[in-house]
Amino acid sequence: MGRLITLTVNGIRRSVEVKDNELLLDVLRDKLKVKSVKAACWRGECGLCTVILNGKLVKSCLVLAVEVDGSEILTVEGLAKDGELAPIQKAFIQHGALQCGFCTPAFVLASHKLLEENPTPSEDEIKERLSGLICRCGTYYEIIEAIKDASKYYQLGRKPR
Amino acid sequence: MSFGAPYFTLPEFTYHKPKTLKEALELLDTYRDEAKVMAGGVGLVAFMKERLMSPSHVIDIKEIPELKRVEYREGAGLKIGAAVTLSELENNEIIKKKYTALYQAIKKAADPIIRNRATLVGNICEALPWVDGPIPLIAYNAKVEVMSLNDVRLIPVSDFIKGPVEIDLAPNEIATFIHVPDPPPESKSTFLKFNTGSEFALATMAAHVVGSVKPKEVYLVYGAVSTKPVRASEAERIILTSENIKEAIVEAATKASQEIDVVSDVLASEDYRRHLIKVLTINALKSIFEVS
Repeated sequence: MGRLITLTVNGIRRSVEVKDNELLLDVLRDKLKVKSVKAACWRGECGLCTVILNGKLVKSCLVLAVEVDGSEILTVEGLAKDGELAPIQKAFIQHGALQCGFCTPAFVLASHKLLEENPTPSEDEIKERLSGLICRCGTYYEIIEAIKDASKYYQLGRKPR
Repeated sequence: MSFGAPYFTLPEFTYHKPKTLKEALELLDTYRDEAKVMAGGVGLVAFMKERLMSPSHVIDIKEIPELKRVEYREGAGLKIGAAVTLSELENNEIIKKKYTALYQAIKKAADPIIRNRATLVGNICEALPWVDGPIPLIAYNAKVEVMSLNDVRLIPVSDFIKGPVEIDLAPNEIATFIHVPDPPPESKSTFLKFNTGSEFALATMAAHVVGSVKPKEVYLVYGAVSTKPVRASEAERIILTSENIKEAIVEAATKASQEIDVVSDVLASEDYRRHLIKVLTINALKSIFEVS
């Protein structure tokens, strides 16, 4: 027995049949094939399944799919505009802010959201706001540098070269 | 399912999303023991994954308008609905200004992404020993409003939490609001948390003192040290009757570290927790009374 839910994923309206006990994480990955959303701990600790749900960062392993009927979801696939990467994505590349890359979608998404809300975060604020995400390779230093660097584009609403 | 491991799936249940409180209470009255109420879901989804709870019905109260509100009236205090998230409370100017310990506890609870979903009422209903929310609430003498179809009860948070995952809530009742009294103008409070980077604190405490020159009321509440939040009433009395506050602080901290029932577990030994209680108490009271 399933229900049909409709949600907007990265600007595209999609309908999908879900069971009441299915997690948003599993529906996004397995049914909607949004593979940037990573499944790792399944218990809200690592934060790698983070998506932006109706403008707020949430860990999709703790959200039921049925709950989000009618919602808007943004994942890292939706950040680039007209084929051009968002400033934060470029900054992650420039600073080599990743090693294995598994946590990168979540960190990029959370960093993007942070800079949108506060284009000039202090280092402490960056650390606090990203404290729900874990990078097992330990590239935190580079991630913080990338965020500080991308900061100027968010302040000016300007695109990086 | 991606990996097919049962741990990662949820037990089967029917999901309900009532639009009104009455509708939610009716659903709960019908299903009772077979149902669980969900607000943010952070606790319930995790419990269901571990099969600590396997309800046949999940009643989601997230979209019930009156439960999404925070109200403040001077003299009466705060009324926080069960669907209000910790992030919303963190951005509430009144809480930031008047309820210091509560604000500090929320800022230190879990992480900012979890706080976008987790609720303060959920925090209390989860009743896990290391959860931060109840500690400042008890220090402010807060009460939980509990509703069923034909009854409303107001229970002090300290009585509501009976033990780990054990609360004073009947199968047909919903914890709908938290009422936090308005702290008098001359009241000061603080919340301290000691952890080593993991989600589990080794010791937390909230201190709330009314009258910082001559204390009229003192609340010293500790979390993560026992099976439920505990007050150090003898230590409170030492502060209340003190002549020399600087000496009384050390005396009260020592007393608190002795009088509380403390657990020993893999995270910290009993002795270490007693030491932490003493240090937290000294730090909290020194900041409240502004002594060095």
